[in-house]
Amino acid sequence: MSVLIGPETAAPAETLASVTRRLAPLARDRRWQLGLVATAVFLLAVAGTGYRYTPVVAAAPDPAAAVARPSRDLHRMLAARARLASALRSRVPHGTHIVIDQTHNRLRLMRGETLLLEAPCSAGSGMILKEGSHGRVWVFDTPRGAFEVLSRVENPVWRKPDWAFVEEGQPIPQDPGDRFEYGSLGEYALYFGDGYMIHGTLYERLIGRPVSHGCIRLGREPLRELWRSTALGTPIYIY
Amino acid sequence: MPKPRLPTPLVVALTAAVLGGTAHGARPRPDPAEEAARARLRRATAQLRQQLALSSRTGFYLRLDAWRGTLALVLQGVVLEEHRITRLERGEPRIVFVRRGLPEDWDVAAFSGGELDPPRERDRIEIVAPEPSTGAAGPGSETIPGPPPIPATAEESYSVPSRYRIVFNEGVTIEIRSAGGARNRSVLQRLADAASLWTHDRAGALRWSRNDRVRLRVELAAEDAAALYRSLPPDIRLVILGTAAD
Repeated sequence: MSVLIGPETAAPAETLASVTRRLAPLARDRRWQLGLVATAVFLLAVAGTGYRYTPVVAAAPDPAAAVARPSRDLHRMLAARARLASALRSRVPHGTHIVIDQTHNRLRLMRGETLLLEAPCSAGSGMILKEGSHGRVWVFDTPRGAFEVLSRVENPVWRKPDWAFVEEGQPIPQDPGDRFEYGSLGEYALYFGDGYMIHGTLYERLIGRPVSHGCIRLGREPLRELWRSTALGTPIYIY
Repeated sequence: MPKPRLPTPLVVALTAAVLGGTAHGARPRPDPAEEAARARLRRATAQLRQQLALSSRTGFYLRLDAWRGTLALVLQGVVLEEHRITRLERGEPRIVFVRRGLPEDWDVAAFSGGELDPPRERDRIEIVAPEPSTGAAGPGSETIPGPPPIPATAEESYSVPSRYRIVFNEGVTIEIRSAGGARNRSVLQRLADAASLWTHDRAGALRWSRNDRVRLRVELAAEDAAALYRSLPPDIRLVILGTAAD
């Protein structure tokens, strides 16, 4: 077994010596010295610029707990805070409400803070439909915000809007009766304004994907549960 | 018989002593614990008032609760989703090692116009409708369109950076970091993330007067950080709760 010593180990030392020899005159040059000092100062300044992070100091929810004998003034402040907290609680629905995460296609039915039902749903696809001849454009988004159940319909009939015909390459019917479609919305529909509703679907295999035209599609069983548990005025929160 | 009279300076001194003693008795020395409790209560009440104002509006807001260690997306007081914070830090700008300090009540203001940085881009599918067929309209039509394309889910369409920011108009930036999220990124992506953060930190500190007065570094579980990035509504507001003065 042979060990290589020689050029392989000597070369770096020679290179270093050669570099040192070449740099020696530069190190004596005043301009180079100034340049080096300026670079060092600049790097130091950059290193000292930015943000200094410290843990956030949290405060206990009851600041008066540490006071042995709270004064009347402190009691007054505590009462004012309690009123604010109570006003805040009164805004939160304590009854049944629906929360829809349209990004992840999940629907939750809540009573106060209790989860009654969680199920996959299908929200708006976000697709853009352009009509060739008239130049109309539709964007199939589900709206975000706070809504409420405005009407409840059993065995709903879909009155197809213009885009439904345009999308299928069909002429828009002159007779309003030609717009009605039976069975495609499932067993129930809960309308929450501007033509949007929570309803069933014929395409249950696509539930969980964003495939609707803006409505919320739900599977048969969760829709039945939703129908049983909600009423007119039930709040709906979509985000 | 002449009355005995006290010398005038003595009368003045006695009166001053009596009055001073009375005044001292009327205003007892304040209890330091109570003073501290008042200050904390004032802060907590101001933060609660901000939250109440936000819950009366129609827009979404983020509620960062330092005491409970949670970051929640809220609409009209209803918590839509809530994430546990694993680490919460506050960044104070400094320029050449000189601390710029923060306004005392930096955490009781209302923060608005929050937007993601880098912004979330949604790739929308565009369809140009076919020309209508000449046949009869309605269900009896013979037109059989091809199946519409199925859009990707949010998980499939958005790439979530391991660190991102929510920048508010009032000079507060929340930097969201995902705990362990960097493991899913390549070495190059991690280097790019670190370089981006380094540059933003320097630029933010130098622009201190206009923007980025306060940085809040919030660490969430990787899936929570990703969920928040995907679902954060635009133009979000922020309320901070449960913080104490330094």
